[in-house]
Amino acid sequence: MSLRHTTHRLRGAALGAVLALSLSTTLAACGGDSSASGASGGDATLKWASSYFPTHWDPVVSGSGAQFRQLALVYASLTRTDKDGKAVPDLAESWDYNAAGDQVTFHLRKGLKFTDGTPVDGTAIKDAIERAQKQKNSALFGDLTSIKTVTADGLDVVLDLSQVDYQIPQLLGERVLQVASPRAAADPEKLDQAPIGAGPFTITQLVPGTKAVLEKNPDYWDAKNIHIDKVELVSAPDASTVVNGLKTGVYNFADLDPSQAGAAKKAGLDVFVQPGFNASNISINVNKKPFTDPKVVDAVRYAVDRQEFVDKLTFGYGAVTDQPFPKEYVAYDPQSEDPYPYDPEKAKQLLTEAGYKQGQVKLDLVIPAATPEAEIVQSQLGAVGIKVNIKVDKNWATPFFAKDLTLSLYGTTGRDSAVQTLTAHFGPDGPLNLSTPYEPAGFEAAVAKVRQTPLDAADYPQVLQAATRAGLKSGALVFTYSSPNLFTKTKKISDLTPIPGHVDWTGVTIGDD
Amino acid sequence: MVRRVLSLPSGRIAVGLLVLIALLAALGPVLAPQDPLATSDNTLASVSWSHWLGTDYLGRDTFSRLLDGSRVSVLASLEVALVALGVGAVPGILSVYLGRVFEWGTLRLADTLVALPFLLFAVAVTALLGNGLTQAMLVTGVLVSPLFYRVSRAATLAVARSQYVEAAIISGASVGWVVRRHVWAKVLPPIAIALAQTIGVGFIIVSSLTFLGIGVQPPAPTWGGLLASDLGYLDYQPWAPLAPAILIMLTVWASNLLADTIRDVSGEAGRAFVTHRRDVRSAHDASDQNATAHSGGAR
Repeated sequence: MSLRHTTHRLRGAALGAVLALSLSTTLAACGGDSSASGASGGDATLKWASSYFPTHWDPVVSGSGAQFRQLALVYASLTRTDKDGKAVPDLAESWDYNAAGDQVTFHLRKGLKFTDGTPVDGTAIKDAIERAQKQKNSALFGDLTSIKTVTADGLDVVLDLSQVDYQIPQLLGERVLQVASPRAAADPEKLDQAPIGAGPFTITQLVPGTKAVLEKNPDYWDAKNIHIDKVELVSAPDASTVVNGLKTGVYNFADLDPSQAGAAKKAGLDVFVQPGFNASNISINVNKKPFTDPKVVDAVRYAVDRQEFVDKLTFGYGAVTDQPFPKEYVAYDPQSEDPYPYDPEKAKQLLTEAGYKQGQVKLDLVIPAATPEAEIVQSQLGAVGIKVNIKVDKNWATPFFAKDLTLSLYGTTGRDSAVQTLTAHFGPDGPLNLSTPYEPAGFEAAVAKVRQTPLDAADYPQVLQAATRAGLKSGALVFTYSSPNLFTKTKKISDLTPIPGHVDWTGVTIGDD
Repeated sequence: MVRRVLSLPSGRIAVGLLVLIALLAALGPVLAPQDPLATSDNTLASVSWSHWLGTDYLGRDTFSRLLDGSRVSVLASLEVALVALGVGAVPGILSVYLGRVFEWGTLRLADTLVALPFLLFAVAVTALLGNGLTQAMLVTGVLVSPLFYRVSRAATLAVARSQYVEAAIISGASVGWVVRRHVWAKVLPPIAIALAQTIGVGFIIVSSLTFLGIGVQPPAPTWGGLLASDLGYLDYQPWAPLAPAILIMLTVWASNLLADTIRDVSGEAGRAFVTHRRDVRSAHDASDQNATAHSGGAR
């Protein structure tokens, strides 16, 4: 009996020793790895886990959505925006308008090259603009309707406009004119998976949908202010794993879901909000029943309790909004604040006036992925007698952009040009206007007036806000809440410049642990 | 067979748990103390008398959602098992009797189905036919069916080559009569084992799919869906995934335990095993009584 006990004890001790040995070997290996990476020439590596990993790397196909931030690692643009949201030089070091305001000339920096050696000149810019206007699968052509012709003249590029439009420098920034090498862009399908630009980094490895490895581009015009040697961009696997990824050193920078902010703070990570123009909305198709009746549209407007979205989805980081702009932004129209306050009784009454009994209006809310936001919409509309069936459709983008849906949800990250934001939402061909070709009365004239007004004119804010007011008459959109541009990083990464809507790596340093 | 299964403690535990889960599926939505879809301002609340398992991210009662979600989860796993049984068992038995062409064809088909990854196929089918659990489980059932095909074929082969079956056929018995009279009785125990096991597998598949948000449209609750949503709020409710995870685990464990028990008690060997256990227990009881009698005398 005692012999058996001794044998068991010996076995236990041996097993423990083996486990301890393998554990210490593993830990040593991990430690060895990290010290090795730290010692490999002192490379400053950004390890970015992003929930917006680009599907397309051709900027013309990728469009103006949130993924432009990742594409901006590779591509420089004609202009960029500063922390006040104003257009400042990027590839173009300056620009000037003619007296009439219908022609603008951009002057490019000297001696720049794309990473494939092609010179950055007027021809390259002309090619980029015309490709965005004409390429079959372009997501940008609707934003460039003011540009009639483009003429290249050495390092100058002249844009003749179809209308007076002082928004052009604001427009041709990172969201609309990231410039690809014309040689690479000759084969757009190849460019889409092997991007070549003149931006701060160049891609060395790309696993579609999963991972991109980039190295600093020494020929970038502002390379002296880029202090990051290497970028590993990965698609964030799941919101709940991001914080652990940062804690264990797999990442050192990540987009953060508000629900994870508390965990990130507890883990000693920096949690910060970049300013932006995020606004979520309920998209309505007024060309389809029952929304052909404006009373049903109004019923939805009155049924929405915006505060519930903020309370349940943003964990203290968001705000209610009834416009596609934050309150502090110049385009926000104070006169249009809260025109349809939460009033479920009025919503019910409007439905009755429209001839619908409780529960008689039945709608499919078609969305690309199940979200708590959709469940809140379902619950709020259900409370006034509109029965909503949530339908998750992985191919949602096709019917949404073809304007075939009756009810959906969308969230914008904004645009650098306020006019682009307005036309995208309220314009007759706006990609975010589910009711194409519908547009609210007076909108087109109001927008034209904004285009004609120089951005530094004294009356620019009033003119812009009038256009916002005209757009908000649209029944196609009910804005709900603004989610934050929330990020987390390890403390060794220095603070980013708070440029609205952007993630700019200029001047950012990555120190030692 | 049922009596033999229940004669073992493992069988009683497995059946007891599965009956409990079945009752949850049947009565869960009725028993739910609150409306499982009703949202409130009390989000991510802790456990309390009014909310036994707290509330979720929209302020809905988690206990009620767990009860309400049991039906979908159980029915879907049963669907997998029954479809697999229907599609696999009958061709498995017939492959022994319906000639070489049928045998060769069904064997190759079974090999093909085994090679296909059922989870991926279920995802693909929901993408093609719409996001519904019924169609996903139907396809999964077909892909799992080779298990039943092979089990029933192996058992039938063993029976078909026995002398008493050959004697029956020489005496003029038809294939149908042989299958009904001799084959069924021999094939049923292994099929019952496979069925119990497949219910467990089906549960894992259903939970995996609903965890990924496939098959069920929100806000309908499922155990897998609850588990997935809980993981997003671990910082607020680190204990929340326990309840759905334990339920899933218990159901799968009970199914496997039942399969093991059926295996242990089926056939002549099983009958002998049960008899032996009963004898051992009787002897043990008798010695206990003797011991009690002796100690009583001493007292």
